[in-house]
Amino acid sequence: MITEALQQVLNGLAIGSVYTLIAVGLTIVFGILGIAHFAHGSAAMSGGYLTFILTERLGLGFFPAMAVALIAGAALGVVLERLAYRPVRDAPQINAFIIALGLTMILEGGNLLLFGPDQVVIPTPYQHVYTVGGLVVAELRIQVMLTASLAVAAMATFVSRTRAGRSIRAVAQNRQAAVLMGVNADAVATMVFALSSALGVIGGALVGALLAIAPGVGEGLVVKGFAVLILGGLGSIPGAIVGGLVLGVSEALAAGFISSAYKDVIAFLVMIGVLLVRPEGLLGKR
Amino acid sequence: MTRIDEGLVARCTAVLAGLALCATAHAAQKELVIGVSDALTGPGAVYGLPQSNAVRMAVDDTNAKGGIKVGQDVYKLRLVAYDDKANPTEATNSVRKLIDRDGAQYLLGFCCSGPTSAVASFIGRENVTMLVGNAAERTITAQGIPNLFRTRPPADFTGSAAGAFVAKRGVKTIAVIGSLDVSFYSQYLEAFEREFTRTGGKILAKETFGLKDRDMTPQLTKVRALNPEALLVLGYVEPCAFVYRQAVELGMKMPRYGFTSGSEEQFLKVATSEQMEGVWDLRPTELTVSALGEKANAYVAEYTKRFGTPPSPSSPYAYDQFYVLKHAIEKAGSVDPKKVQDSIRSGGIPPEAIMRYLPVGSAMFDENGQAYTTNGAFQWQKGKWVYVSDLPSDPVAYSKYLRSLRK
Amino acid sequence: MSRALRVGIGTAVAIAALALPHALTVPYFLHLTILACIWTVLAQGQNLVQGFSGYVSIAAGGFMAIGAYASALLSVKAGWPVWTSMALAPFVAAAFALVVGYPSLRVKGHYFAIVTLAYNLVIVTVLNNYESFTGGEAGMPNIQRPAALVLGGLQLSFAGREGYYYLVLLAAAAATAGGALVLHSRVGRVLIAIRQNEMVVDALGVAAWRYKLFAFVASGFLAGLAGALYAHFIGFLNPEPFGTDQSMNAILAVTLGGSGTLLGPIVGAFLVVTLPEYLRVADTYRLVAYGLLLVLATIFMPRGIVPMVSRGFQGMATRLAAALRPRPDPTP
Repeated sequence: MITEALQQVLNGLAIGSVYTLIAVGLTIVFGILGIAHFAHGSAAMSGGYLTFILTERLGLGFFPAMAVALIAGAALGVVLERLAYRPVRDAPQINAFIIALGLTMILEGGNLLLFGPDQVVIPTPYQHVYTVGGLVVAELRIQVMLTASLAVAAMATFVSRTRAGRSIRAVAQNRQAAVLMGVNADAVATMVFALSSALGVIGGALVGALLAIAPGVGEGLVVKGFAVLILGGLGSIPGAIVGGLVLGVSEALAAGFISSAYKDVIAFLVMIGVLLVRPEGLLGKR
Repeated sequence: MTRIDEGLVARCTAVLAGLALCATAHAAQKELVIGVSDALTGPGAVYGLPQSNAVRMAVDDTNAKGGIKVGQDVYKLRLVAYDDKANPTEATNSVRKLIDRDGAQYLLGFCCSGPTSAVASFIGRENVTMLVGNAAERTITAQGIPNLFRTRPPADFTGSAAGAFVAKRGVKTIAVIGSLDVSFYSQYLEAFEREFTRTGGKILAKETFGLKDRDMTPQLTKVRALNPEALLVLGYVEPCAFVYRQAVELGMKMPRYGFTSGSEEQFLKVATSEQMEGVWDLRPTELTVSALGEKANAYVAEYTKRFGTPPSPSSPYAYDQFYVLKHAIEKAGSVDPKKVQDSIRSGGIPPEAIMRYLPVGSAMFDENGQAYTTNGAFQWQKGKWVYVSDLPSDPVAYSKYLRSLRK
Repeated sequence: MSRALRVGIGTAVAIAALALPHALTVPYFLHLTILACIWTVLAQGQNLVQGFSGYVSIAAGGFMAIGAYASALLSVKAGWPVWTSMALAPFVAAAFALVVGYPSLRVKGHYFAIVTLAYNLVIVTVLNNYESFTGGEAGMPNIQRPAALVLGGLQLSFAGREGYYYLVLLAAAAATAGGALVLHSRVGRVLIAIRQNEMVVDALGVAAWRYKLFAFVASGFLAGLAGALYAHFIGFLNPEPFGTDQSMNAILAVTLGGSGTLLGPIVGAFLVVTLPEYLRVADTYRLVAYGLLLVLATIFMPRGIVPMVSRGFQGMATRLAAALRPRPDPTP
């Protein structure tokens, strides 16, 4: 029983670290620019597909391929911000949200056209399985968790330690004041989208290696990502990290001990419950 | 001088003959619309697109050989294929359009149960003939719709044969992981359970996963704790490949049985051959060259040549539909759907058919409009599905059971 | 537009709508028109929330499913007359909207959108898994059309498409009239004030959440009606057509047609139903085309087609009037 529960926690941490990556990307866009970037998951999947193409067709290693896709993904994020979100920056919030829905359709359709309807699995060399005291964990899962932690840590360091990061924080705190102090808000928007999409692409590539990329996977992930945001508090990076892991683990436990059919329902009920009791999220500011 | 220009005469005769030929050809040459409604895009396209391609191949071949001869007339075929995206609403729209706008009286394709059931619910009122392919949901032929026929056997026909097979191999306890919210998998399981428990077998757990789930470690971990002698995996190839892989990754070594109907390439995209080694697939004897022989070989080669990819294992259900139709029209000597239906109902198995059908009496289709193929046990051995044996299946008994479901 | 002109155009449209079944030579178009009328009901509901109060709800598909399943289950499983179950279905959907709307409207803006999306996913999952009740993914076949009505010796049958067309036309007209009623009432004015500035509304001591809840419940009601009409038209139900795609379609219809207007949802609904027919040539490009349309419309035509066209007309009318008006003599 205890081994089983611990094993379920371990199972959930792997997928939870992917949720975290997606959610951190969403939360910085939301916290700093106030945009609910619904197309984030589909953009992440485009990066995942690209990683697949680079490994499968060009024979690149998994991490080099991911690095190339990450740069392309960042560029895609910048283009989306520049062409689609920026024109409606001063319009009511609902417009940006509808744009996000439109972008989701474009990206999902584009992925389908370019990469086809079949699921795609990114090949990796990590086939080993480790057993420690009744607990089993695949090498690939360890790689996924490590990569996700490193990516989130790198992003946090960038935001807290660099000059560019400081301007991002300034805009997040008070956009008008930051602009008055000479911060270039357009540059910040570009930077935020580049960062967020790069994190998303890492998430997409990890999902593609651990599980699979297929039509609809991106949308599913972004919904989970928003659930994490609500759990952790919109705009909060620590909230996104904790929320992602909590969601992953609670899904695994729910599937293992309650009902596998209603696994997703349970996750959403938790989200709705949190929203009602503590609308600012578990780690959000009151 | 009455010197007749022989050349001129010859030319005149030729022209006249040509005109006459043209005229008769014009009188007899007619067009017959073959409608296809199938999933050409979206998640169902893995099944639908190959079906639609298979029909196209059969139609092109027939046209190249001159068309279908019906009494004095020769019909050229025109294929009209619409995408139903595996969605009931879209399927209703595309069939309405085929009937109302394109004048199609023969409808082929139908890979997926949801859209097919939607169309089946109104097709009885239309003067058309509908042939269903890969959609395996039992109710489609359990309602006794007179103008609907299906080439693929329902899932539970295969399920009961599978249950008997697994019990016979000495398995006493089994745990199930499957797409149990998809009804034809739950029907397969229901029939499996009936046969499996008859001889004292026990099902320890029934775990579900969603169509888009790919991380089955929670379900597998739960099942592992119950220590079953074997695992039964039911679902589409893409998620099931993950079940097989993750079972190995969680150190589960018991025998694995399944009902997935995936090709080698589809599984190898997800799992290594070592992870798949020894897995059983208990399913209709679909397109497996080792089980179906030369004709299947030629089909695979021709399909690959035309469409650039090998056909899906289930695509011959649609290919065979077309030849059922062709022979029925020729035998009826008419393109009236009512007469053609009668001749389908009494007709045998067309010689071009790729799948191996088990006749009910002398006819290919039973009174429910259902055809039956043989079921087979396949095992993954060194990177390939190997046909091991037939599964004992009884179409006559099943046909009676199916009839008994009708209200 | 002058009142007379409006009445004239309105009468002409009404006559055209009534005569339509006799004018269509291809029965398939009647099929599409029926769907468009059903989608109009759905879009009018979506408009109450999205257009009036400025909140995005991504649950239209889910509430449509509740209406559809309620009506189908009541008539098929409980054996109630189709008319009764169709009449009750919208209330069932509205009751659901009330129960889930009350808590979720405590949160604002994006939170609300995401929560409604979650509702939609939960509804579809439950419909898929609660097989003994809903038939699961395999669905429920043989949902009957409503019985014929006898009105003053006149027999109205709904078994054919023509009869059903008049039923859905009536429903679409009623939904539009309902929207007009709301728009021109105090409730409508408060909702629009919420869209413009919710904080001011709150500050004025108006309980904004009550008005939002009303709009949400009313939209649930209309979605439920649309679902019931759909179920008995198609005759078969499974959860597939009610996923988030359907909710997106409702959003698309309202945005394209003109959010916050009365005619917008009608135009949008017809576009959403007929566009795929014309885009079918490039079926694989459809999703991309839809997305582009949504993005471009939001950027360049944020108020939708109807306001743009009517503004165009108004501009023309003003210019025409100006041209016809006798010019006053130039004063020195």
